[in-house]
Parts: sequence; structure tokens; C-alpha cells
Amino acid sequence: MTDEPSGPVVSSRRPAAPVLSAPAEELVRVAGEPVEDVASGAPPALATFGRRAGARVARAVRRRGFSYAALIPATIFVLGLLIVPIIETVYHSFTNWNGLSSHFVGVENFRLLFDNPVFSQVLVNSVIFLISVPLILVVSLVVAVLVYEKVPGWRVFRFLFFIPNVLSPVIVGALFSTFFLPGGIVDTILRPVGLGQLAWLSQPWTARFVVIAALVWTSFGFGMIVILSALTTVDPALYDAALIDGAGWWRRLRSITIPMISSSLQFLSVINVIYTFTSLFSFVYVISAGGPGFSTTSVTYYTYITTFENGQFGYGAAVVLILFLIVLVMTVVQIKLFPQRQVQQGV
Amino acid sequence: MVSRLSRPLVFLALCLVAISTVYPLVFMAANTMRSTSAYERSPYGLPSHFSLGSFSALVNQVPFLSSLLHSLIVVVPAVVVATLSSALAAFVFTKVPVKFGNGLFWLMLMVMFMPGIVVLLPLYVEIAHAGLANNFMPAILIYTALNIPYGTYLMRANFRAIPDSVIEAARVDGGSWLHIFRSVVLPIARPAIVTIGILTFLNIWNELFISLVLLHEPSNEMLTPTLAQLSGRFGTDIPVLMAGLLLGSIPTLLLYFLTARVFIRGMLSGAVR
Repeated sequence: MTDEPSGPVVSSRRPAAPVLSAPAEELVRVAGEPVEDVASGAPPALATFGRRAGARVARAVRRRGFSYAALIPATIFVLGLLIVPIIETVYHSFTNWNGLSSHFVGVENFRLLFDNPVFSQVLVNSVIFLISVPLILVVSLVVAVLVYEKVPGWRVFRFLFFIPNVLSPVIVGALFSTFFLPGGIVDTILRPVGLGQLAWLSQPWTARFVVIAALVWTSFGFGMIVILSALTTVDPALYDAALIDGAGWWRRLRSITIPMISSSLQFLSVINVIYTFTSLFSFVYVISAGGPGFSTTSVTYYTYITTFENGQFGYGAAVVLILFLIVLVMTVVQIKLFPQRQVQQGV
Repeated sequence: MVSRLSRPLVFLALCLVAISTVYPLVFMAANTMRSTSAYERSPYGLPSHFSLGSFSALVNQVPFLSSLLHSLIVVVPAVVVATLSSALAAFVFTKVPVKFGNGLFWLMLMVMFMPGIVVLLPLYVEIAHAGLANNFMPAILIYTALNIPYGTYLMRANFRAIPDSVIEAARVDGGSWLHIFRSVVLPIARPAIVTIGILTFLNIWNELFISLVLLHEPSNEMLTPTLAQLSGRFGTDIPVLMAGLLLGSIPTLLLYFLTARVFIRGMLSGAVR
């Protein structure tokens, strides 16, 4: 209503007349309108409006100006270096781009991909590597629950368990391949069981095992912290009640702890699936170079070979596009399917 | 929540896990001090006498220190710019409603977990065409861009916990938005911002693919590609390999040891999800 020049004048007069008869609410409501006019002894209507509108515009500019300025860096980076390149990748997945020339070839790249037994093998490998996700969840959960017992030194344990997380996968990979060398420390430990002298890295399944083991070892510390963070929000009274009902340790874990932290487990599951699909490159590069054969080649490693070593950029674009789609679908499926999803709070 | 009797068992189990996370460090350190022949005799315990031969062998054959420097040149600016841009964007998203804010945030969500390789493909070719191959700048910018969406997402979750009344109070006092951001939001959210910054640093510092593809001249190679080639070169000379891995671990371990209090507390308070 203050859009009209007469608005302020009318409202500035209003309190004067009904002041005695007006109910308290109306007084408050009226007082909520332009009070400063009353206080300043009702200056000329137009000037008031002009001044206030001017101030409002100035405020809006300041406010908007800041918001837009504050969004500029993020917008430039996200649009220029993420969104635009994605569109380019989509376009080039339909071309025979080799880095210099590019011609439209329709779905030829995708046809080639799905006819290629190596690519099927790569997809199968990714599915096998997904075994690491439940392993990471279980190890993180068990370790977190044990730390949460708060036995003496539990803070030290918590500190130590995160160490693998801060090491580069390159370093972890090199360590693991050293440990799994023939005659290495793993062989030495396993010799009493009759398993010594296994050529871990030259057989498909054992090589995959080494990659998965390295992945679990680096990832469980982060999982532990996330679960510990969730555990502190569980009401201890629940456990007391369960104890009175005679519920055992396992029963309490299954019926209280896991349901109460399910949104954290979901989060961990989502990010670890993504990580398994997109970030195995470093482990594979160092531990097995994708071999033996293509048995440990991950999608990213396959892209590295086809694109950056052989220069088939159009084909590589098709590969990464499929990778992106798989990751997207897996994420959405997990968000939809995970049991007892709780609304994530704005922590 | 276990009975009193089984607490020693819990302690024992935790010790076993701790051995698995600490022993590899001990193994690296111990075997760095050994000669190759001593390694072949007994690699697992602590060395009986110390030699620094593998350090000098490593530093003489591998441009270790310069790759460390190159990593710093790339990672530090990327972390600072990414963290600051994310914080500013998250502040606008949560406290200063603006027209295109939601659209931008949705774009970020969509690309948040996008594999970096999706954008690297066209960018790599464009960088080469622009004559910027083996220049640090593209690597810095790409790392920055890739870390902004998740950073913004995390910051937004943290900034939402700041009561609007605090912001309102500062505005009534006549503070500009920039002032509010600098002297209200940043101090309140500092633990979360530091935690997210450290996490971003670890992400970029430890990454291999982009550093391998973009910078592959001896004059600009970063740390992870240098480390990745060690096991191929010194696969039979474990002490030299371990010297490299140990030196390569020190920067992030040091960062973790020095900031563990803030970092772990930040993560426990939910700053990272």
C-alpha cells in the first residue's frame, strides 16, 4: 500500500484519531506501519516517499549487488569448467573426435563400446569392485561401535583409525602391492595356514581382492567418523530401556543403533558407490595397471588407456558419459531404496 | 554398551585394528632405514642399525623436492579459492535469497558427484590447443571447479544451522552483507569451514588422474604422479621405494597430526555430510 504517494500520509494520521477506541491489536498493527513518519512529524508526502523509495532501492542494490557478486566465482567455475565441458563431452560422444578433427558419427561409439568384450569386462569389474561398499559399511560400523564403547584410549584409537584416509591412494596402493608381493608380509602371515607363495597380483581374483582390500583400508576411517557422529545423536535412554527389556548386545545393535543411524549409512553407501566407480584409478594404476589381462581395469582406467594413451577422444567421451549415467542412476536408486530413510537434518 | 567383562575384548579388537593402520607407517619408516640386503634378510621388525642411504638414492634419482613444490603451487591456491567461493555461494544460498540461487544450487547438486574425468576430456584438448599444456594454471582452475559443488553443499548444510535471528540482528545494526559474512558468519562457521578446507586439501593433494594427465614434464610434475612411478622403478629395491612413500606421506600426515583436534571435532559435529 505504500506504493502510492498518499499511503504514508494516511497512515501517519491514522493513529491519532482512533487511539482511544482502538483495540490493542489494531494499535499494534497500525504502529507496525511507517512509524518513522509519525515520529518525524509528517514531512511532505512526496519527499518522504522519494527518500524512502530511494533508500529501499539503494538497499536492494546493496543487497542484490552483494549476492550476485558473491555468486560470481562459484558460477563462473561451475558453468565454465563443469557444465559447458559436460555438454561438450555429450556432443563429442557422437563424433569420432581424435583431439584435432571431429565428425559426427551418430551412435557409432556406443555401438562399438557394447560390441567390445573389453568394455563388458570393465563393467563386470566395476560390479565386482562394488563388493567393497558393504565391506566398508560393515567395517566402519563395527569399528565405530567398538570405539563408542569408550574403553581407555578410545580417542587415540579414533585418531589412529583415520590415518589411512589422509594417505594418497597412490601410497596405499604401492604399500599394498609391496605387502602382497610373493614372499611379502601377507605370504609370511598366511604360511602357517598353508597359503604362502601365492602370486596375488598375477591372478584375476586375487588381484581384485588386493584392490578391494586397499580400498576398504583407506575408506573405513571416514565411515567410522560419520557413524560416530550419528551415534552421539542416539538417545541413551533407548539403550537403557532395551537393557531393562533384556535385549542382548546384538539385538540392541540391530534394533536400535542401525535404524537410528540409517541416514548416515545411506550417505556412506552413496558416496562409496560413487567413489568405487570414479576413483579406483589410482589404486589400479599403482597396484595392477589394470591387469592381469583386463581383470582389474576400472572404467576410469579404461578411459585413461583409450583416451589419453591412444587419443580416441570421441570413444572416451562415450565411455565417461556411460560412467556418469551409471553413477547418477546408482545414486538415485540408493536414495529411493534405502530402508527407513530419515529426513536429513540441517546439521 | 557391552558388559564389563567384555571390555578388555573390545580393547583388544581396537588394538588389532590400530596395528593395521599404524604398522604400514612403521614398515615404511623401518625399511627406509635399512639397506636392500638387510631388507631381504628380515623386513618386518625394527632395523638394527640405521642407514640413510635409501633417502639419498631416492633424492638423487627422483626430482622429489621439486614435485613437492609443484604440488604446493597447484593445491594451495585451488583449496583457498574453492573454499572461499563455496563459502560465499553457500552464504547467499542460505541467508540472502536471490533469484537464480536455487537454479545454481541445483546445477551444483547435479554435478556434485560427477567424475572429474567427464570434464577433463574436452578441457584437456582445449588446454592443448590454447598452448597451455604443462602450465600450472589449468590444473589449479580445474581442481578448484571440481571441488566447489561439494564444498558448497557442505557449507550450506553448516550455514543453515546459524540462526536467522543472528543475521537479522547484525542487519538491524546496519551491517552490510559483506560485513555480516566476514564478521558474523565466518567466525561462527569457522570450525566447519576449516574442516571442509582440510578435506578439500586432502582430496586435491592425493588425487592422481588429473595431475597425471595435465602435468607430465619433469619441470612441472606433481607429487602423486612422481610417487606412482616409484613402484615401477624401484619395485625390486624396496628401501628406496619406502623412502619415497614415507616422504610422500609426510605432508598430509603432518597436516593431519597438527590439525587433528579441530579436524576430527569438525567431522564429528557433522560438518562433512
